[in-house]
Amino acid sequence: MRYLNQKFTTLILTLSVVLLTIQDVAAAPFEDFFRSTGKIYVVVAIIAITFLVIVLYLIRLERKINKLEKLQQHESQTS
Amino acid sequence: MIRQSWWKYLGALLIIYVIIVGLLTPMKPGVYEFTPINTKAGKSFTADIITYNTHYKDSSQLRAWLKIDTSYALLSSTIEIQEVNKLKVTFDIPNYNPSTSDVVIADLVIDEKDEHFMVLPQALYITQDSSQVDEGALAWSLSNIENLSENTDFTFPFRWITEESMRNLFFHVSIWFAMFILLIIGIIYAIKYLLSKDLKWDIYSSSLTHVAIVFGIIGMLTGSFWAKFAWGQFWINDPKLNMSAVALLIYLAYWVLRVSITDQDVRARVSAAYSLFAFAALIPLVFVLPRMMDSMHPGNGGNPAFGKDDLDNTMRMVFYPAIIGFTLLGLWISSLYIRFQLLWESYMIKRSN
Repeated sequence: MRYLNQKFTTLILTLSVVLLTIQDVAAAPFEDFFRSTGKIYVVVAIIAITFLVIVLYLIRLERKINKLEKLQQHESQTS
Repeated sequence: MIRQSWWKYLGALLIIYVIIVGLLTPMKPGVYEFTPINTKAGKSFTADIITYNTHYKDSSQLRAWLKIDTSYALLSSTIEIQEVNKLKVTFDIPNYNPSTSDVVIADLVIDEKDEHFMVLPQALYITQDSSQVDEGALAWSLSNIENLSENTDFTFPFRWITEESMRNLFFHVSIWFAMFILLIIGIIYAIKYLLSKDLKWDIYSSSLTHVAIVFGIIGMLTGSFWAKFAWGQFWINDPKLNMSAVALLIYLAYWVLRVSITDQDVRARVSAAYSLFAFAALIPLVFVLPRMMDSMHPGNGGNPAFGKDDLDNTMRMVFYPAIIGFTLLGLWISSLYIRFQLLWESYMIKRSN
């Protein structure tokens, strides 16, 4: 577990360094893309963000349901 | 009601309708770029104009005006069509402005016979060294803006800077509206709990509030992304933004509060009372304070709220279904959470017996 945590931290740190470097280089193309065609891609990105957060919440809910299912199965097996 | 499915299908259908109609409806033509933005009175002035959604050809019948207030207008002297969306327009600016001030700000109006007319507010700053109001007023009243062509097709209005991202209204704004409706229903159940002390209503109230917080987070993320391309930065020092961040933090504390109290009855009572106070704090934070300060949001700091130009009838036909659709989606998600929590509670009770 500790090993995993270390790996995860390294990954996050590397990612953030990479992102920070990319930000300077790629800031202009990134913005140009979203400003093109009358800024329609801003709308696309916002619909994507909306459904991404909703899906993340649904995954969280599903994990809770899985947990309850496992507990109930465990209970019925032992009794 | 919670187990019936017609309203869930209705919500899904409304959101599909909003995505399709909200994205496919074309925009009215508009002015995209106007350069240069200042000139002197008494000079011949040529502007390069880039338009959006126009289809000019050599035979297009174009007219252009500069407009000061509602009473003064100046017709262009020549219009050269360069491309389908590019114009070179020359105005002979009169020697004097129809005003005593050094600078007047003129709006631009362009009309094409087959397309909807377009307006660029505050397009040009005209400076003058000395003033002759009577002469200026006379020179500026020679032409009238009349016979503007209107396109009655189903189209959304074009706004400068916002452009196509105007369509975010159907997602960003309706998510906030849905959040408020979910919170209000949550408050009703919180009061119901406080009156009856039935833990079932606590589960209803807390689930609705949880989903409302998720919608608040979506509203904040989408708003931040939109701000980057409408206002230039992901986060600007705008009272509406800061106050809604404060309100969201108050609600995140609600989340923490519920996790940290283990006794069921205490948790239910404290969180019901807390949610009442949180909602009472939310209303002035989001609806009252930003209106008293300068804010970039429509309806705040003197900006008109949903003016005729920002939200016309075509946008209403998508905006109101969007609010209902996202509210129903939120209710659907919270109904799943409610059912899960009810099962969890009954399982816990069974196990403790």
